Amino acid sequence: MDDQTHKAHRKTDKGGKANKKDKGKEKQHGYNEKAFAPMSGRRADRQGRRNVERDQTRLHVPLVNRTPDEDPPPVIIAIVGPSGVGKTTLLKSLVRRYAKQTLNDAKGPITVVSGKKRRLTFIECNNDINSMIDIGKIADLVLLMVDGSFGFEMETFEFLNILQSHGFPKVIGILSHLDLIKKASTLKDTKKALKKRFWTEIYQGAKLFYLSGVLNGRYPDTEITNLTRFISVMKFRPLVFRNSHPYLLADRLEDLTPRETVRTSKGKCDRTVTLYGYVRGTNLRLGTNVHIPGVGDLPLASVTALGDPCPLPTADSEKRRKLSEKKKLLIHAPMSDVGGVMYDKDAVWVNVPGSFTRGNNEIPQGEGEQMVMDLQDVDQTLEDRVAQSNIRLFGSSSKALVVDEDKDSEEEEYSEQSDSGIDSDEDSEDEDMDEDEDIPRHADNTGRTTRRTVTRTLPSNTQERTEIDYAESDSDLGENEDARVKLREDNDIPDDDDEGEDEGEEEDEEEESIPRWKANLADRAAQLAAGTHKRRKDWIKLIYNSSLSPEEIVNGQQSTDKSSEDEGDDFFQVKSTHAEDPDVLDQGKEPLDEESLKKWEDEEMLDSIRNLFITGAEAAAEGEGGDGEGEGEDEEGSEGEGEDEDEEGVDEDNVGGSSSKPTGKLTRAEALAKKKEILKRKFDEQYDDPSGPKADFYDEKKDEIAAQLALNRAEFEGVDAEARTLVEGFRPGQYVRIELHDVPCEMIENFDPTFPIIVGGLLPAEERFGYVQVRIKRHRWFNRTLKTNDPLIFSLGWRRFQSIPIYSLDDHSIRMRMLKYTPEHMHCYATFYGPVALPNTGFCAFNSLGTDRPGFRISATGVVLDIDRSAKIVKKIKLTGVPYKIFKNTAFIKDMFSTALEVAKFEGANVRTVSGIRGQVKKALPKPDGAFRATFEDKILKSDIVFLRAWYSIQPRKFYNPVTSLLLSDKSKWTGMRLTGQVRRDEGLKTPLDINSTYKKIERAPRRFNPLIVPKKLQAALPYGSKPKLMAPQRAPTYLQKRAVVMEPEERKAVALMQQIRALRKDQIARRHEKKEEKKAERAKRLEKEEAKKGEREKERKKDVMRMAGQKSKREAEMQEGGGRGPKRRKT
Amino acid sequence: MAQPISFIHFSGHQHFRSRLVLSILSGRHVRIDKIRSEDKNPGLRDYEISLLRLLEKATNGTIIEISVTGTAILLKPGVILGGTLQHECPLSRAIGYFLEPIIMLAPFAKKPINITLMGITTDDHDLSADILRTVTLPHLQLFGISEGLELRIKKRGASPGGGGEVQFLCPIVKQVNTLNFVDAGKIKRIRGVAHAVRVTPQFSNRMIEASRSILNRYIPDIYLYSDVYKGNESGKSPGYALTLLAESTTSAIYCAEAISEAGVAPEDIGLRATRALLTEVEKGGCVDQKHQILVLLMMVLGSEDVGRCRMAEPMPKTIQFLRDIRTFFATSFKIVPADISDPNCSQLLYSCYGTGYVNANRTLA
Repeated sequence: MDDQTHKAHRKTDKGGKANKKDKGKEKQHGYNEKAFAPMSGRRADRQGRRNVERDQTRLHVPLVNRTPDEDPPPVIIAIVGPSGVGKTTLLKSLVRRYAKQTLNDAKGPITVVSGKKRRLTFIECNNDINSMIDIGKIADLVLLMVDGSFGFEMETFEFLNILQSHGFPKVIGILSHLDLIKKASTLKDTKKALKKRFWTEIYQGAKLFYLSGVLNGRYPDTEITNLTRFISVMKFRPLVFRNSHPYLLADRLEDLTPRETVRTSKGKCDRTVTLYGYVRGTNLRLGTNVHIPGVGDLPLASVTALGDPCPLPTADSEKRRKLSEKKKLLIHAPMSDVGGVMYDKDAVWVNVPGSFTRGNNEIPQGEGEQMVMDLQDVDQTLEDRVAQSNIRLFGSSSKALVVDEDKDSEEEEYSEQSDSGIDSDEDSEDEDMDEDEDIPRHADNTGRTTRRTVTRTLPSNTQERTEIDYAESDSDLGENEDARVKLREDNDIPDDDDEGEDEGEEEDEEEESIPRWKANLADRAAQLAAGTHKRRKDWIKLIYNSSLSPEEIVNGQQSTDKSSEDEGDDFFQVKSTHAEDPDVLDQGKEPLDEESLKKWEDEEMLDSIRNLFITGAEAAAEGEGGDGEGEGEDEEGSEGEGEDEDEEGVDEDNVGGSSSKPTGKLTRAEALAKKKEILKRKFDEQYDDPSGPKADFYDEKKDEIAAQLALNRAEFEGVDAEARTLVEGFRPGQYVRIELHDVPCEMIENFDPTFPIIVGGLLPAEERFGYVQVRIKRHRWFNRTLKTNDPLIFSLGWRRFQSIPIYSLDDHSIRMRMLKYTPEHMHCYATFYGPVALPNTGFCAFNSLGTDRPGFRISATGVVLDIDRSAKIVKKIKLTGVPYKIFKNTAFIKDMFSTALEVAKFEGANVRTVSGIRGQVKKALPKPDGAFRATFEDKILKSDIVFLRAWYSIQPRKFYNPVTSLLLSDKSKWTGMRLTGQVRRDEGLKTPLDINSTYKKIERAPRRFNPLIVPKKLQAALPYGSKPKLMAPQRAPTYLQKRAVVMEPEERKAVALMQQIRALRKDQIARRHEKKEEKKAERAKRLEKEEAKKGEREKERKKDVMRMAGQKSKREAEMQEGGGRGPKRRKT
Repeated sequence: MAQPISFIHFSGHQHFRSRLVLSILSGRHVRIDKIRSEDKNPGLRDYEISLLRLLEKATNGTIIEISVTGTAILLKPGVILGGTLQHECPLSRAIGYFLEPIIMLAPFAKKPINITLMGITTDDHDLSADILRTVTLPHLQLFGISEGLELRIKKRGASPGGGGEVQFLCPIVKQVNTLNFVDAGKIKRIRGVAHAVRVTPQFSNRMIEASRSILNRYIPDIYLYSDVYKGNESGKSPGYALTLLAESTTSAIYCAEAISEAGVAPEDIGLRATRALLTEVEKGGCVDQKHQILVLLMMVLGSEDVGRCRMAEPMPKTIQFLRDIRTFFATSFKIVPADISDPNCSQLLYSCYGTGYVNANRTLA
């Protein structure tokens, strides 16, 4: 289309049109207020309101983002979806896009550099629900893949619900397999339908991507590029849970257990394991515990910061605006086959695409090929090389050490790799190689000394990496880092441009190579000469790194020096006695020392601290205004002071900065300048910004957060790495190596890189156990109710565990009443025993994690409310008894209690009869045991049952069973405690039936009531109104019955006529009735006929439906046999 | 997998209270042994037992095991409960001994605490009720614990008879604020309470007079109250004391106190208190030495930000406390001289990274 040429538009330069246009243009400059002005007042009002509302929607609760701005950890991007949806293809496409590498076996986390400020860690989540839970807790961005040709599957919804309960990360939906839909209109409809469903699930307007077919095993490049654009501009909102816990996604795992121990125990001993990864969340501190989901709680044995294996380009290495192509090649994926090399348990596989011939140097070779060729090139043994090598003490030393011929010890050291001499040896070798690339690389560069399990590192820098582990100081780390990066550049991409840069760097190094102690010799001398440098106590060292007692530290330098010497010299030490002095009290205030107080008798001494009071004049700059007593004066003084102090604070911060010269004049000028500055600022504050919208709550909070973060950064800016780690732990973004002891051997034995290993830091409170009360709601898609005392699997905090909850509801704020089942569509409380999580932590619960049940697996969701060591749940209990003797309002009740003691406990308790007569327990009776006297509001019957309603408190069972899925060989086959019903089904047991609990027909004899007889005597005494009005039946016929009636003839006639008329009428009605009956019968007949017809039709319809259903189930069963859970119709 | 139960192990009877407090706050189990094992009268003292009982009352699920000889205890802490409590303190120690740990724990309880303690209100080992009311509680306010925070001195009780009674009310918080207090300011006012129970009220006036004779030279804003309790409210023993506090422009507070002694004139007591106050003022910093531990603890428990505070040199118990904090919370302090340029400045700047301690005991909804 584009090849068609168009005639260019030519502007007229004369005539009215040209003039007109120019005129119009003139007006167009700047913002045209009229264009957007509202037409009417009402409209203006609406517009204003809309703007305000829109402003409000952008506000979120200000949260602190603990991820540092410089050098943040890589963003975790999880690719999630059901099996067969194209996750791996997408992962490979993305890696290819970023790192220009084709992975054949992409497993585990893959870290790449995506921009100057951002790295990405991709991880593919398999279809196992345990993985989905773990990934959901750490992913920053989820690429949720949906098969467009099939639609949403249950796993997708399950995953979204998991995300919801653990803090929602960003989600981008991706529809794949759209090429399978051939018809354009169907495609459009499908897209629309799926998008609508996706939006209701996440939010209106959530991003949904469409991927069409696969080309060369990848998705089309344009589509992937579009996707990466969205990824690169994605902003992340801090999530509360992740912002209060340190965590890392392990991208490498090594087993450090001595081989011999493993061998002797036949692989069953507990292992020592190191995990590698970027710290995320908050600072990771040594001395805390961590939880590895699927494994358990483990204490951190040691943590070391390592050089970044996939560093961001630094400011000087990357001066361009865009990321250079070279940086794009950085990839860190120890668990996959970068460069065509894959490590198995006992073999190394090199994947060579196409044909391979040795000596063909033009074609750039993969890492694996290079390695094999290097191995072939070896002409010396290790022994020889060690003998030849020149060991220099420091990288910059000019003379090499003479090697001792004792090779055994040398080799030992080599294998331990803890010797700095060897390290420098390696360094020098690397440098050698940098200089002349023609020399083939020595074999030992690819050699490994630690046995590798399944994981791998970049082979070319194994040595450097391990040596970084043991680097002594920060500067070492930096140097090694440079060397490594350089090495990679040189080896991987022969690039001429590099040379110049390298040389420059080397020069820099030479400059640096002046020993540190020499560097600022002059400065120090000057300092010493000035004599200002007073020897101070290094409190941090004294407190944390010495074994001196606190008293020794306080009492002064001499004693400390002495004792520190003692430490070195003598093996035996005199036990310090005063620490054990039993008379030393743990007291709040020190006793007053009379002697030291004596100094205050001196007037001069008293005057010397005058400057500490507001009235005391201090600096000349303060002026003579000190004698005033006004409040304003005071305030001003104080503010001035405050500023001064602040300045001092700043001074301390840049410790390394130049020390202020104590020249009187200069300081005075400085002070003056400072004061002016303050005044100016004050003025500006008052007058510069008159309308200045008063910072609202939101902005205020944000400013506060920003100020605190700036302070956090500034406080430890100049401190050396070791001290910094001591105080603040390992910052997010650092690449660390975590050593764990006593790890179950199954974790190593059954290690599978496709299942993520997460190391989640625990807060002190979270290591404890207790009763956790949660608000819970059964998930509306889970189709069964949950039952008290049935085990449930919780995903709470980092953990996944099984516990036994008791459900309850708040009964009028008086008691927590147990529920047998969770209510429908309503929240209730649940209390279970387990590891504590902070209140307000969300969780989701499962009945089973297996794939055997086809329905929705998340059974409930909720939030933690309370943590305690006891639970206050009660259930109702009714005690029944029967009266055995009844007085007027008093009755003796038996069979409710068995002893008098029990009765005593319930004295005063309310009782009730079945008929509703209320009463009270009074006192126990001596006989029979457990009988008592009770009073009622009315006389009760002998047949009444008396019951007492009471509450029985129950405690949840102390059952906690962590889901140790990572320890299994088949990770999705974890089984916990089964439900009671399941146990019965599996064991073929019948539900126990208590004979007393069965429902039987109740036979009740008809009640017979005796007639009420009022004694004659009493009757006589009663007033007339109350007398029973009982009259004997009439025996003799009455007058009306007795008399004879004789009628007149007319009368008789009239009566006869009336009789006849009545008879006629009767007959008429009878006939009419008869007719009606006839009609009714006819209608009934008709209706019956119709009904029969209708039934026939219904029967036919039902038959049809059943036939369809039968076919469907049959088909499903067939598919079930074909593939596991979630079979799919695949149109191919 | 079995839950690894790790005990933190200490020996010696010193720093008993702070260790118990740290254990309860962090939830770590603690074992303390060799408690006066070499002494003629080995084992825990009555007041220590009483403190343990008080902590048991204030918490739910705490398990305390004391060995037969009383020289070793094992504490498995539960959750801090709060609520309305009452405790009779033994006469061997003042109420301050028991109230200090309670003050550290109370903000992190499940319910706001309302505790009544009975015993000696003022003695010469522990912080008196006056200092706790006027100095310790304002220190808690630095960390955002203020609404409903109150200490009422209902009755005074001098040693040895006791008979005093105080009521402590403390709200609960979700998280304490991060402290950034590096500016000590200048002293703007001095306040004081002189009390005399079961002696002539003139004593308090005499103490005030003596104290004013020194302090008047510095600032005019001095109010020293004479607080007299009569009859039943004045406890069982005679005694008098002067409590002084100096407040700076940035509301840093220094305090000192002197207690009546047999054979010492009230004027001398007044002078003694005044001079002790001047010593504190001279040491400077933003927090006086008696409250170092409280402030450092609250700094550690703050959110995961850098908290800074300028203080005088640590006392021996503070040093031990810093070490204990490291064992319990794995956090260390950065301690540098507050003023690099001034070689005579002995003040230090304590800064630490808060552990992000959240009150897990708090009930939601």
